Amino acid sequence: MTALNHAILALLLPLASAVVIALFLRQRGAVASWLSTGVAGAIAALSIHLLLGGERFESSVEWLRFGAFSVSLGVKYDDLAALMLFIVGFVGFLIHLFSLGYMHDDKARARFFGGLSIFMFSMIGIVLADNLFMIFIFWELVGFSSWLLINHYHEKQSAADASKKAFIVNRVGDFGFLLGIIMCYWANGTVNFTELGQDHVFSTAIPLLLFCGAMGKSAQMPLQVWLPDAMEGPTPVSALIHAATMVAAGIFMLCRINVLMVPQALEVIMWIGTITALYAALCAIVQRDIKKVLAYSTLSQLGYMVAAFGLGSIAVEHGGHQMLLAAGVGAAMFHLTTHAFFKALMFLGSGSVIHGCHHEQDIFKMGGLMKKMPVTFTTFTIGVLAIIGMPAFAGFFSKDAILYLAMTKNTAVFAILAFTAVLTSFYMVRLWKITFLGEARSDAAKHAHESGLVMTLPLVILAALSIFGGTWFFHSGIYPKLAGTVALLIPEAHGSAHTTILLVSLAVMTVGGGAALLFYKSAATDTLEEKFRFGFSVLTGLKESFDRVYNYYVAKVQQRFAMVLNFLEQIVLAGAIIRGLAGFAGLVGYGARALYTGSLHAYVYWFLLGAVLLWAYAAGIF
Amino acid sequence: MSTELLKAVAASNEWWALGPEIILACAALGLLVLELVTPKAQHRFIPHAAGMALAVVLAGVALNFGKIWDGEELFGGLIRLSMPGQVARVFFLLSSLLVCFLATVCLPRARVPRVEFYHLLLVVTAALMLLAQSNHFVMFFVALETVTIGFYILVSYYRERASSLEAGLKYLVLGALSSAILLFGIVLLYGAVGRVEAGGVVHTGFEFGTVLTFLRENPGNFLATAGALLVIGGVAFKIGAFPFQIWVPDVYQGAPTPVTAFLAVSSKAAGFAVLLLLVHGAFAPLAGVLVPVLSLLAAATIIFGNLSALTQRNTKRLMGLSGVAHAGYLLIGVVASFTVPWAAGAVWFYLFTYLLASMAVFGVMAYVAGPDDSGEELDHYARLARERPFLGAVLAVGVGSLAGIPPLAGFMGKLLLFVAAFHAQLYGLLAVAVVGVVISIFYYFGWIKAAWFEIWTPPAAGTDSPARPLPAGPKWVGVAALALLTFATVLLGFFQAPLSGWLLPR
Repeated sequence: MTALNHAILALLLPLASAVVIALFLRQRGAVASWLSTGVAGAIAALSIHLLLGGERFESSVEWLRFGAFSVSLGVKYDDLAALMLFIVGFVGFLIHLFSLGYMHDDKARARFFGGLSIFMFSMIGIVLADNLFMIFIFWELVGFSSWLLINHYHEKQSAADASKKAFIVNRVGDFGFLLGIIMCYWANGTVNFTELGQDHVFSTAIPLLLFCGAMGKSAQMPLQVWLPDAMEGPTPVSALIHAATMVAAGIFMLCRINVLMVPQALEVIMWIGTITALYAALCAIVQRDIKKVLAYSTLSQLGYMVAAFGLGSIAVEHGGHQMLLAAGVGAAMFHLTTHAFFKALMFLGSGSVIHGCHHEQDIFKMGGLMKKMPVTFTTFTIGVLAIIGMPAFAGFFSKDAILYLAMTKNTAVFAILAFTAVLTSFYMVRLWKITFLGEARSDAAKHAHESGLVMTLPLVILAALSIFGGTWFFHSGIYPKLAGTVALLIPEAHGSAHTTILLVSLAVMTVGGGAALLFYKSAATDTLEEKFRFGFSVLTGLKESFDRVYNYYVAKVQQRFAMVLNFLEQIVLAGAIIRGLAGFAGLVGYGARALYTGSLHAYVYWFLLGAVLLWAYAAGIF
Repeated sequence: MSTELLKAVAASNEWWALGPEIILACAALGLLVLELVTPKAQHRFIPHAAGMALAVVLAGVALNFGKIWDGEELFGGLIRLSMPGQVARVFFLLSSLLVCFLATVCLPRARVPRVEFYHLLLVVTAALMLLAQSNHFVMFFVALETVTIGFYILVSYYRERASSLEAGLKYLVLGALSSAILLFGIVLLYGAVGRVEAGGVVHTGFEFGTVLTFLRENPGNFLATAGALLVIGGVAFKIGAFPFQIWVPDVYQGAPTPVTAFLAVSSKAAGFAVLLLLVHGAFAPLAGVLVPVLSLLAAATIIFGNLSALTQRNTKRLMGLSGVAHAGYLLIGVVASFTVPWAAGAVWFYLFTYLLASMAVFGVMAYVAGPDDSGEELDHYARLARERPFLGAVLAVGVGSLAGIPPLAGFMGKLLLFVAAFHAQLYGLLAVAVVGVVISIFYYFGWIKAAWFEIWTPPAAGTDSPARPLPAGPKWVGVAALALLTFATVLLGFFQAPLSGWLLPR
């Protein structure tokens, strides 16, 4: 089999698994879960095989043609796709494995694993797509599978609401995305990435409209509201879809259309990313739900990636002459990779905690889990160290790359991102300390137990990746193969800049982490809420402000407009036009029916009339 | 015809070309002999023998399909072998085979002699095949009358039933009237053309070729034009075009269900085969007169058929009147074929999709109907989908295809016709057809709704009418036939190459 066939196989296997589960295995959760996990394992193997095989290719077939307009389906497997496919395949497999344990007692296990398979299919479709139309199709499919999986506990009102919210908010972004695709086709005559790379029209509107899609999917301001609510889904879903892969699809798509970018558009993207990073970090400080903290942290890190992408290219010395390096792509994809490892690790760790504490999610009701769940504690700690940027851990390298890029390009952004890093270590250490240290503060926490091997094994593997994932990119023989040209794009500080960045990142980590460690007590109440009530309520209000504004808009503006439309539809469209015309046709029909009297005499006259009319026509009378 | 000519005809091997028709006629006689010589207990195998005969002939025609003697005239110009003639043969044989299947379902329920039915079926099929290949007005009229007289008997075959007899009588009177109109048209043509002597051979106005030459040289001749239009009028009776459609609902309702299917599919297709033969053959120079007449007929037929079908509750009347509307769409194809050559192929494609869908629907009707199949109402289909899901599914696909719902075959048939009409710039007719299709969706979906969506009705107190018996479940032959028809309808919607590559040569 050629590499192309392998790629297509990786795409179609999960679809087949989803179809089989939906048609035959709905009542057989155990078989369904093993099938889905087996397929995920095969995808992981295929993705590693393709990655290390070193072959990069492109191929497409025509699907539809209407005149000059044609839509093709194709596979573009370059270094970017190779890296992303590896993340999706490998992290996806680990999360499938974890789900085997986590979802073991769920009644709707088959639906859950069928949903995971659909998600894998759609996500791999995005990764391998060679044109924007195809990306859009799979983009909507991931939206659908995300809706399906958030809604897994659909008997819970909050889960149903959250899934609807995620779906609708994403539609807003996708509307802009679709406009961007249409405009891109209209301006360039093609939406194929390779053809766009060769020649395209410069425009600010097209990349910004396309960015709307990323804004929805990667939950950037002001469309970030759906992601925290999406935590209503099962924890493995939060890890896979709402932390590691789907939400990163926006970043991936931006890197795909990097050639279309113009400085003005990049400026907008950079600021949106920066503000999102800061806003989400502030919100994360006051959360009590372990998954919500991680969700806001994900938002914040996605903001980092978007900001990194928006910072754009830098000029570097290479072989004695200046050249432009698309450092934004490199830094964003680097952080995407390491983030996928450590965030999936922490989400799965939180899943393990929730599972161990009998579905308790409030961190102030936990505590003292260090001794009861040693594996989860150790791996979670590694995750925390990675995200706050402890030297030698994965997050350190990727965050440094972004900070260095910001320092060379824009001081204001650099300051905000550095401050965000302080906040990041602050809320992460808070979470870590309250959850794991101190005494158990509830019965659930007292009776907590370590999860089984099928759940801890993925944690250990992801922890290893969170440690070595960063250095792989720089100091290893595998890395040129692993990410190829993408790794070459990562900005690297040298000389004094290197020292500055190192000092800055150490300082922010120490300040944020130390403050949290000293400030928070292992107690059943939030220390911040007790001591700085005003600051706490400001932060809480900050979090809720967006929902309030949107609720107001929906209730007061959109709802009323919809009522007017509904009225028009009922009265004018359905009432007058449709019912009216139907009634008219019905009346004429009764008239026509009355002509069939059943009387043979009348029928004979019909025939004679017909003959006379034909004769008259032949005679030229009319 | 002189004795020498007869001898020459007898000596030639032209009889082989008519093999299918001759075999069918012999088989028809053979069925009667079989009834005489076999014991009564074995008579139930006679329908199978008829079906076998049809199937064998169909296979023979299909295998020898490539051997078309294109344009060759046989028997002194009575018959002309051609590609459309071969297509028509396949069509009529397929249709009769399915009618044969329907008859095995329906006839056992009525107390009627059975063997004669299959005898007539085979005779009519042979006559239909000859009709589509005729090249001479005498041949044409004789074949047509053979078909029509066969139908007179078939329509009134349930001779113990008043409705069947009434339908037969109506068909007889109106059929005779239309034959009179047709014959009058032929006589006018004969009179106008007269006798032409060319190269020592005498030609008359009975020959299609002579009429063509005459019309080409005398375009404004009133008698010939009137004759041609009256012939078209006679054919319009067959296809049920306005205003000659008036017989359709009464006759369709009274006739036994297999005969209704035979009328709806084969008789209508015969009308179109003849119409295409005439307007592209003998009457081709009259395009200036025929195009407006046929356009008007098409528009009136579509509007009238659809509107009068809208309020029908009786399924057979509904099939009849909606069939009138289908004849209207097909007439558009005939009009388009004056300027777009491949439109004739589109007409045949449509007829084939109509055959598949109609036979599927008639099959379901045959199973749903009780002993009295003339009073079958839409209400009788309530709960069909739950009690007989297979029949419900076949009905949904068949009716959906008739309505032209993508991706079923009927949609592709309509699409081809409409594209042809678009190329022929018949925008007005196209608009009428689209409105007609929209109206037709209403009553077709009403039927599907009756079968698939239950409407709760309060149990009538006191007047406890006996519950309708469950529709008969098809045996494996029935399941196979209906499943095949449904499968073909779905497949043709996705994949037209096998049929369109054959009917629409590029």
